[in-house]
Amino acid sequence: MCRTSLSVLLTNGGVGSTISTISDGKGEGDMRHNGHGVRSVDHLAYCSGMNDWNPGFKVVLSLGTLAICLAADRAVVSLAVIAVLAWLQNVRGGVRLSAYIGLLRAPLVFLLLGGLAVACDISRVPAGDWSLPLPGFYLCTDWDRARFACGLVLKALGAVSAMYLLALTTTACELVSVLHRVRLPSLLTELMYLTYRFIFVLLDTYGRMYDAAAARLGWRDFRTSCRSFGGTAANLLVVALRRSRNYSNAMAARGYDGALHFLEEKKPLRRAQVAWTLVFWTALLAMRLAAG
Amino acid sequence: MTGKQRKLVRITACAALLGCVLPTAGAMHIMEGFLPPAMCVLWGVAALPFLLAGYFSLQRAVVRDRRSVTLIAMAGAFIFVISSLKIPSVTGSCSHMTGTGLGAILFGPSAVSILGVIVLLFQAILLAHGGLTTLGANTFSMAVAGPFVSFGIYKLCQKLRVNKMVSVFLAAALGDLLTYCVTSLQLAVAYPSVVGGVSGSAVEFLGVFAPTQLPLAILEGVLTVAVMIMLESYARPELCAVGFEEG
Repeated sequence: MCRTSLSVLLTNGGVGSTISTISDGKGEGDMRHNGHGVRSVDHLAYCSGMNDWNPGFKVVLSLGTLAICLAADRAVVSLAVIAVLAWLQNVRGGVRLSAYIGLLRAPLVFLLLGGLAVACDISRVPAGDWSLPLPGFYLCTDWDRARFACGLVLKALGAVSAMYLLALTTTACELVSVLHRVRLPSLLTELMYLTYRFIFVLLDTYGRMYDAAAARLGWRDFRTSCRSFGGTAANLLVVALRRSRNYSNAMAARGYDGALHFLEEKKPLRRAQVAWTLVFWTALLAMRLAAG
Repeated sequence: MTGKQRKLVRITACAALLGCVLPTAGAMHIMEGFLPPAMCVLWGVAALPFLLAGYFSLQRAVVRDRRSVTLIAMAGAFIFVISSLKIPSVTGSCSHMTGTGLGAILFGPSAVSILGVIVLLFQAILLAHGGLTTLGANTFSMAVAGPFVSFGIYKLCQKLRVNKMVSVFLAAALGDLLTYCVTSLQLAVAYPSVVGGVSGSAVEFLGVFAPTQLPLAILEGVLTVAVMIMLESYARPELCAVGFEEG
């Protein structure tokens, strides 16, 4: 975690609630209650067993795997990527398999719907191997389209696994520091850093407003819910603006001149990790060649 | 089973299926790895001019007043939180707003475009909505097309002296609908159908996502109006502070 006097100062206003909310045991219920996966993914990233890996290396590992999975475009390679990365997350990262599968479920729904649209064709007359008669038209598909769609869904799932490798093991501030190192304009990295922190301030504030409304039966029926939603969202903007004024005053008082400097933990690159990655990538490429 | 019972089972099965689909397919992000590489690059390039314009306008704002950095970051966080909130829905399952219409009306479309990229990146990393390779395509549909059209409709309605809340509703609902149409079109261009080509495929993608997206667009309009009514009644100074002009 990156911390200096300035970040500690920002923390006082409640930004640090990220860490406190997730470690005080109330986190789990809170997540389900408000339906935010944000906290759970952030929580997993901070607690990951792979947190001490070099962040730059993790970016290269997941982007490289992503690129190989997309470029290879073979079901075998996609399956290997999905299986190996799930194993890595479970054994090295310490993510429970059930939690990992739960996280994959959201993208899966989109992929299955999208895959369905890719696999099927709409036509006025029956065509292909199967046709499903519907009022006014036929929904048809054949073996080739179905196989292509399955491959596409698997490929995308492999790519999602590769992205999860980054998301579930690397904290957002480390990622921003990697982006800063590859020369993204400092205005943008600074904005990203502040936005990331403010997200948790606002989520925390919203959680309290949500509970306050719930205690007054504000989510009783659809009409009341709409009113309550309007009220809380509008109030959230007002609170957000007031907070942002306070933060900018506090930062100006501590000599903020347009650059945020953070101390970073040194996370050395390990030879075994690099060797493992090269073996993994070579195996994937070999599979691609073998699959023809 | 009697015919009546069978019908009941069928109806509840359909409702259950819809319930499974609604909660997670709320936001129309194109998932990681779903688009071919050429399309990823193409949509990224298409979004670039808008992003550069947004970046330069931010840079000017920051040079003018150093302290606006926290305000802009807070606006980004606000859009993120609004788009990740569970919204009330008739079926009882949870769905999400896109928040682009509200953002465009409050902060202006060019600011929202650059904030949109940051929000989409965090959505990919923190929520696993969308992806890194599909960031360009998602940016184009959600951070460029949606906000600019919302803002355009809002301004047009103001010119035509339409009731303010009606124009807010139209801007948010139509902006949301357009985002969904653009996303379907992006998918269709990437995967044209054998029989009908791009247009046939677009109809399929529109059809697949319509049951969740049409009610959501209307709901988004209603909720945006609810938020604006509250802001107008309780937070006029704040509205002026973010650059929202009086209509």
